[in-house]
Amino acid sequence: MSTELQRLERLAERLRSLEPALPSPQARIRGLNLALAAVGTPQAARRQRPAGRFLLALAAAGAVLIVGTVAASADALPDSPLYPVKGLVENARGLLLFSPADRVSYHLELAGTRLREAEAMFGRHRDDLAEQALAGLAVEIKDAGTDINSLSASDLQAATQEEGRLEEAIQSHDAQLAGLQGNVTNPQALSAIQTARDRVQQTLSQTRSTVNSKGNPSNSGGRAKGSGHPSPSAS
Amino acid sequence: MRVFSRAAAEDDRPLIERVRRGDQDAAKELYERYFDRIYNYVYARLGRAEDAEDLAIDTMTRSLTRLDLFQDQGVAFSSWVYRIAHNATIDHYRKQAKASLVPLEGAILPQSADPSEIALDRIESEDLRAAVRELTEEQQQVLILRFFQDLSAAQAAEIMGKSIGAVQALQHRALGSLERTLISRKLNEH
Repeated sequence: MSTELQRLERLAERLRSLEPALPSPQARIRGLNLALAAVGTPQAARRQRPAGRFLLALAAAGAVLIVGTVAASADALPDSPLYPVKGLVENARGLLLFSPADRVSYHLELAGTRLREAEAMFGRHRDDLAEQALAGLAVEIKDAGTDINSLSASDLQAATQEEGRLEEAIQSHDAQLAGLQGNVTNPQALSAIQTARDRVQQTLSQTRSTVNSKGNPSNSGGRAKGSGHPSPSAS
Repeated sequence: MRVFSRAAAEDDRPLIERVRRGDQDAAKELYERYFDRIYNYVYARLGRAEDAEDLAIDTMTRSLTRLDLFQDQGVAFSSWVYRIAHNATIDHYRKQAKASLVPLEGAILPQSADPSEIALDRIESEDLRAAVRELTEEQQQVLILRFFQDLSAAQAAEIMGKSIGAVQALQHRALGSLERTLISRKLNEH
């Protein structure tokens, strides 16, 4: 018979050998979006830019920040009086973005914001505002797709990379939208969610097709998921 | 093999300073450094992936947005995050009105049961996790921190607000309770 100490040590080893439980990729992305949105001031964390652009951004941001309500508007929801200010700040940020990759990041971030707003509005039974937020989500995704399409004309590799990010974001959003559909009973709201899901998927499909056709002109009908390079058989 | 590196091996202070200045890249790095660990910790306590994801997200959001509070704690950032996760777990249990604590410290081992007969390699991982969740609050915490999270006794002590000696004693008692729990579960199967 083994001693107590030996038995407990074996038990400890068995505990150590357990495979770690890991979160789903969707949860990682959802959490990251929420955490980053909560940290705020996204312009402070953008990639390093040339000094001229930085100063321009700083000056423009400073001008916007003169309005005392700007900071308070960052977390404003569509039913808040500060929400229009939030829209202005978002638009101002968009004006300061120059590279396609930055613009894609910007639109994906706003898409996440619109989705959270829709969730919050459904939670407050403001289905009308939730539907507007969902329409905004589809617009942001479409704008991201347009930027990727433009990028594919000059830098296919970067466009493929951005398309991967778009796809990842859409998968995450779609999972959340599907969850929303399970919690909503109003037929009009259900229809608005489905419309948003369809539009987002349509954007993904069109973006894939465009990027693929640029990489492989002989085949513009889409490509396998996750393959970021032209098919060798096309050459 | 564990996928989590030891929390204390990485210096979070430069990142924390950057997050305080609103640097989202730094916030992302801290998030990625801790999210999986915190999820693993909360999942071990709750046993439900969906709830664990929500609580891990809540923990990380709170950690990154309340760094002003962290300044006054006098502990490592990693310990602070685990404390937030621990408190979030307790809050969750309260909200769910669940009887999460089933103290087994006083449990009597059946006369006929021989502890050496437990075939540890035959115990399913989920059964082992479930048995851990039957322990007391502190026993669960010490086992999860030491063996699931692979933290040192000193790190576990800082997170739990105890001395290293107290953690080692608690760990010993927790393993004993876990052994008794496994035997009880095995006997109940028959």
